[in-house]
Amino acid sequence: MKRLLTTLICIMILAPCAYSLDSENAEQLLKEQEIQTRIDKIGINLLNYNKIPRRIVFVYDKREKKKFLTTDKALTKRQIILYDGLYQSIQTDDELAAMLAREISTAIKSYSGIWGGMLDSLEVTLGSKKFETVADKRAVDYMVNAGYNPLALIVYINKTCPQKRFDKFSRHNLTSKRLARIYEYITYKYPDYLKNNDYINNEYYQNFLLNSIENRRMLQVKIENNSTEELDYE
Amino acid sequence: MNKLLTILLAISFLLQGITFANEIPLDETKKPAANTEEIQTNTQNTNISELPYDYSSTEAIPIKLSIINEVSTKDGLIEGQKLKFKVLEDVYYENMPVVKKDDIITGTVETIITSGMNGFPAEIIVDDFEIAGINSSQLISTYIKKGQNRCFWVYPLKWALTIIPFVGSLTNFIMGGHARIKTKDVITIYYFPKWK
Repeated sequence: MKRLLTTLICIMILAPCAYSLDSENAEQLLKEQEIQTRIDKIGINLLNYNKIPRRIVFVYDKREKKKFLTTDKALTKRQIILYDGLYQSIQTDDELAAMLAREISTAIKSYSGIWGGMLDSLEVTLGSKKFETVADKRAVDYMVNAGYNPLALIVYINKTCPQKRFDKFSRHNLTSKRLARIYEYITYKYPDYLKNNDYINNEYYQNFLLNSIENRRMLQVKIENNSTEELDYE
Repeated sequence: MNKLLTILLAISFLLQGITFANEIPLDETKKPAANTEEIQTNTQNTNISELPYDYSSTEAIPIKLSIINEVSTKDGLIEGQKLKFKVLEDVYYENMPVVKKDDIITGTVETIITSGMNGFPAEIIVDDFEIAGINSSQLISTYIKKGQNRCFWVYPLKWALTIIPFVGSLTNFIMGGHARIKTKDVITIYYFPKWK
């Protein structure tokens, strides 16, 4: 009898502990579900408003991105993965849309061309510098069409992408060059966003304005001279 | 001793009861409907999308166009530039004219992808066609024109030449072809009359 009672007491004491662990997991799960829903909603908005008749899925991954030996899932599986490290830098829906719009433009490229888009995907991988600029520009278009502010792309890149010393032998452009090209693209194509600038009070945007003085000056000269020449930004 | 154990057991039961009472409530949407009326309201389907778009209809009318003046990535084409197109044939929807032959409509150069090393071609992406009386949200109109793709022979050549040190890398300097939209190119865009 004693043994039975002791066993029952042990079970009763341990059961709530197991339950509390479960509720912690459930809370974590709910949090992740909330993030996933937010990503899905904005991603699907971008696809629908831009009338993109292709399937692309969005996945939130709480792990850190592995830098090497990974293929770009946007090109191979048309799956856009948002890693937690990046997600933490994203504050507004506009910034999240900026991140997703860039990846969508890469994923779309994998649908065009022969062999089910394999050749075009290879093109994006090998000519990554050129397609980085294209993806940035297409992202601006996608954001505008879906009603997001394209200046958020500048804020997002300014916050998350490091600045290398050179880009001559790199597969990526200097971040400052990318930002300047995006700013130029918005200046010419969507000037209203700069005239009625919602980001003027944004610290990150002001930081971009501060670190892009030289590049913006070059653009100003180009506009004044009505030039169509491609600028060699720093 | 047995009494003490029984008391402890009773306390454990009580504690567990309190813990389970704090269970997470069901989400509003997951709660069962209160009555049949509510169920009926939930299942009523009016088939009208409240979203700013509704892609239910598959009915698409092709509109064939050709460019008026030939353009190329070689000739200083710029992003955002407006291009003029000519309608190639009359288009009707429910016996009403949508566009007539030789009508002029404009499209915008959305993006230009310059030609790259190893024979990768240039590309012109044209979109945002403007047709009088048609909402742009009712059109699927992205048109992509690519230049000559030389990777097909550049890559085999590169790999064949790798046996001679550094020579394979010389193929890097072979550029892809420029993209050119010619006047004889037929561009088809689609008008979805039932879309919002």
